Amino acid sequence: MSFKSAVITFPGSNCDRDALCYLQDLTKGFVYNIWHEEASLPQVDLVILPGGFSFGDYLRSGAMASKSKIINDVIKHANNDRYLLGICNGFQILTEIGLLEGALIQNKNLKFLGKNCFIKKKFKNNFNSSIKEDQVLQIPVAHNEGNFYCDNETLKSLNNNEQIAFEYCKGEFSNSEENINGSIEAIAGITNKKKNILGMMPHPERAYSDFHQSQDGKLIIESLIS
Amino acid sequence: MNEELILQHGLTLDEFKIIKNYLNRDLTIEELGIFSAMWNEHCCYKTSKKWLKKLPTENEIVIQGPGENAGIIDIQDNDGIAFKIESHNHPSYIEPFNGSATGVGGILRDIFTMGARPIATLDSIRFGLIESEKTKYLLNGVVHGIGHYGNCIGIPNIGGECEFESTYDFNNLVNAMAVGHVQKDKIFYSKPKSIGGLIVYIGSKTGKDGIHGASMASDVFSEDDEDDKRPSVQVGDPFMEKLLMEGCLELMSSGLIESMQDMGAAGITSSSVEMASKGNVGVFINLDKVPLRQPLSAYEILLSESQERMLAVIDEKNNLKVKEILQKWQIDYEIIGEITNNKRVVFESNNKKVVDLPVDIIVDDAPEYDREFYMPRKRKGKDFDFSNIKLEDIINTLLSNLNYLDKSWVFNQYDSTVMGDTVKEPGQSSGIVKIHGTQKVIGATTDCNPLYIRINPYEGMKYTVAESYRNLIACNINPLAITNNLNFASPLDPNIMGELVLSIDGLKTAAVKFNTPIVSGNVSLYNQTNEIPIKPTPVIGMVGFNQDLKKINSNKFCNIGNKILVLGKQLEKKFSPYLLQDQNLASNINEYNDLEELDLDYEKKIANCVLEMSDLKYIMSCNDISRGGVFLSLLKMQYKDMGFKVNIPDPINLFCEYSAGYVIEIRNEDLDNVTSFLSKNAVGHFEIGEIIKENIVINSKKFDYFDIINNYHSNFENIIN
Repeated sequence: MSFKSAVITFPGSNCDRDALCYLQDLTKGFVYNIWHEEASLPQVDLVILPGGFSFGDYLRSGAMASKSKIINDVIKHANNDRYLLGICNGFQILTEIGLLEGALIQNKNLKFLGKNCFIKKKFKNNFNSSIKEDQVLQIPVAHNEGNFYCDNETLKSLNNNEQIAFEYCKGEFSNSEENINGSIEAIAGITNKKKNILGMMPHPERAYSDFHQSQDGKLIIESLIS
Repeated sequence: MNEELILQHGLTLDEFKIIKNYLNRDLTIEELGIFSAMWNEHCCYKTSKKWLKKLPTENEIVIQGPGENAGIIDIQDNDGIAFKIESHNHPSYIEPFNGSATGVGGILRDIFTMGARPIATLDSIRFGLIESEKTKYLLNGVVHGIGHYGNCIGIPNIGGECEFESTYDFNNLVNAMAVGHVQKDKIFYSKPKSIGGLIVYIGSKTGKDGIHGASMASDVFSEDDEDDKRPSVQVGDPFMEKLLMEGCLELMSSGLIESMQDMGAAGITSSSVEMASKGNVGVFINLDKVPLRQPLSAYEILLSESQERMLAVIDEKNNLKVKEILQKWQIDYEIIGEITNNKRVVFESNNKKVVDLPVDIIVDDAPEYDREFYMPRKRKGKDFDFSNIKLEDIINTLLSNLNYLDKSWVFNQYDSTVMGDTVKEPGQSSGIVKIHGTQKVIGATTDCNPLYIRINPYEGMKYTVAESYRNLIACNINPLAITNNLNFASPLDPNIMGELVLSIDGLKTAAVKFNTPIVSGNVSLYNQTNEIPIKPTPVIGMVGFNQDLKKINSNKFCNIGNKILVLGKQLEKKFSPYLLQDQNLASNINEYNDLEELDLDYEKKIANCVLEMSDLKYIMSCNDISRGGVFLSLLKMQYKDMGFKVNIPDPINLFCEYSAGYVIEIRNEDLDNVTSFLSKNAVGHFEIGEIIKENIVINSKKFDYFDIINNYHSNFENIIN
């Protein structure tokens, strides 16, 4: 049975094509591109909310997109235990919908951050099962609001429920900081309690091809379809 | 019409007389506004036209040369590359964030207006000395603005340059370049195809931003007494531009549009006049139909430079389909006029013709000046005393000078990997992106050596073009064509005019030799404040191509133990301008020796050898040699835990500049083959050393590896904060 997936496009999404190519190349299955005004989602195994600046991010990152028509079906899709992945702006949208806890605030240096970052997995889930313990992944980030924040109680429960999927770390030979954007506990990605929804700031869809600086982004799709 | 009003509009009284004699009647205020917009330096190149005509603009791969929104070259199959560079200097000084952001927005529109999807941006930015708080403010604002616009719309920034020098204290330069991919059979031009075609306005509503001389215009002509005199710097909305880009590209790929023109400088005036002139037709526009943000007079509508607006010509039968696509993208759209056959530009407002002019007088009769210019004085030879200069001191001065340091602080604020096709990010010899869905790659770089050009405009410009050329060659990218941005001070000064004339001549000589025609460009004059002219800064944007992404050279060291070779011809110490300047040996411009003549044949010969050795896989990594000499080139190549050990009789020569200079890394086993290949081709070369682990050693003297590497990567941020 082939793996089916979909990418949602909002006005201002700019990583939707990248996510489509990522899914097409790695899943070999059919990938739908769904416009935000469509009323329903086809039945698929994975939905990606891509990066970008949906609706210009003028209110709060992801706030307007979280009210889009398609979001009802995205929630239904997740409630049916299917996979939902929010990358960058997609992560911000997931927190705005309330499918993931916490919020993404401005980077601690108050500047856009576009560079390679290094992450490793913290707690195991279906999105990172192909990644070894302590394996350092090199994946680009490109965000202005990627600084993950939540209150202490939420942080405790994220840890107790093993919802932290990825954390930033130091790369070999790199003089970059361990925690690039000031996130609490250097959190780079979290899941919901059921672990079928992942939000992450780094862009795995920019690190999978042989000409990319790293192919570590492959591991997420490999984890899901293995 | 009173003289003061004419002069306020930037026209000379002689120019006004030409217009009046031609029309044989008085002008309306709106018509005066049109001439003000169309006859200024920015739109009609009245000072530079005579000289720009001398540039080579055609060869077998040029599809579109200068004169359209962007130049286009052929990269085989059905693929074309559209590219252009444009300045936003003055707005970026007044309001750095919006000034630079709209610079990026404008150049992106030039690209997608032609049916091309933007695939990369670059920028060339120059500031005064960092000791000034104003410079820090400008640097922060400009970088933020460039990043904000490009990041939001989602086009990767793949390179550029950033220089600090005192003549830019009150005139910072912001030149933005964009590169787009177009299918050769789907290129759109500004020339309308048929009489009777509908002129449609697409995009943001028109407001008061960017009206030249806004205060004058609104004081005298605004019907709105409560006018708030908005600044004349345009405000950008990258989200709107993203929608506009997607909407326009969809209209074009659906074949619903005949022609398109973006509303850039001089807004609706310039875009409609261009259309009429290109098509040898007339235009009729009803200004009452123009979507407005606020009540505006006809004069203001004509001159507004509100951003994110397009003018297109469509066939009436496609009207509904056009409307449907634009509604999907939530873009404003209005039919505002039509293409006529009378070769006149007619604007109507409140049922009154406010403008009725023949196209010819606006475009063809635009003034062209042959301004006086002086040749630079001959330079006396001068010797410099290097005896007190120690190796450690040079390294320390380099590592505390912003112009040499790793500029990650700048480009980490740019998204360089969006679109997923980036092969080389900023900070390397050139930026490289893949053509989506193919193995073909495009390389691009921007360069200028203002100090060289002030010393000798003709030779200096040759060096500048050669540096761009080397940047591409070092990556195994075949250089194809050029876009240029000529930034100069006032051409009314014959010395400055001489720099303009001679540097264009140098550009021509180099471009002919390299077979890299100039396909687009921009001129920015009068960059001077308080009698301080900027250094001549004709920036080159060069684009090149390789069929196969796997053949691209690394610019970073690959393996410990590999040999390092230096190719090319070193300039003697006393003929290395940046060395003299940055070691404080030459204190004023008259002290420098004249530049050594650059041998373009030699430059080309070495380049061909580098390309050949790259294809043969002899070259493991390569970098060009420019300001900072071999030493800086090696430092840029440093990677992971690798360092270098070099031997050179006079170590000061490590910092000299070069002609046709490259550093290459090769495997030990290839050394004999490579050296005999180079000797056979009479290419100057020597083995300077090898790659070693975690050390920098010069003539057996060990330097603190981690100290140098850390300073190189982090001092930029330390200094600017």
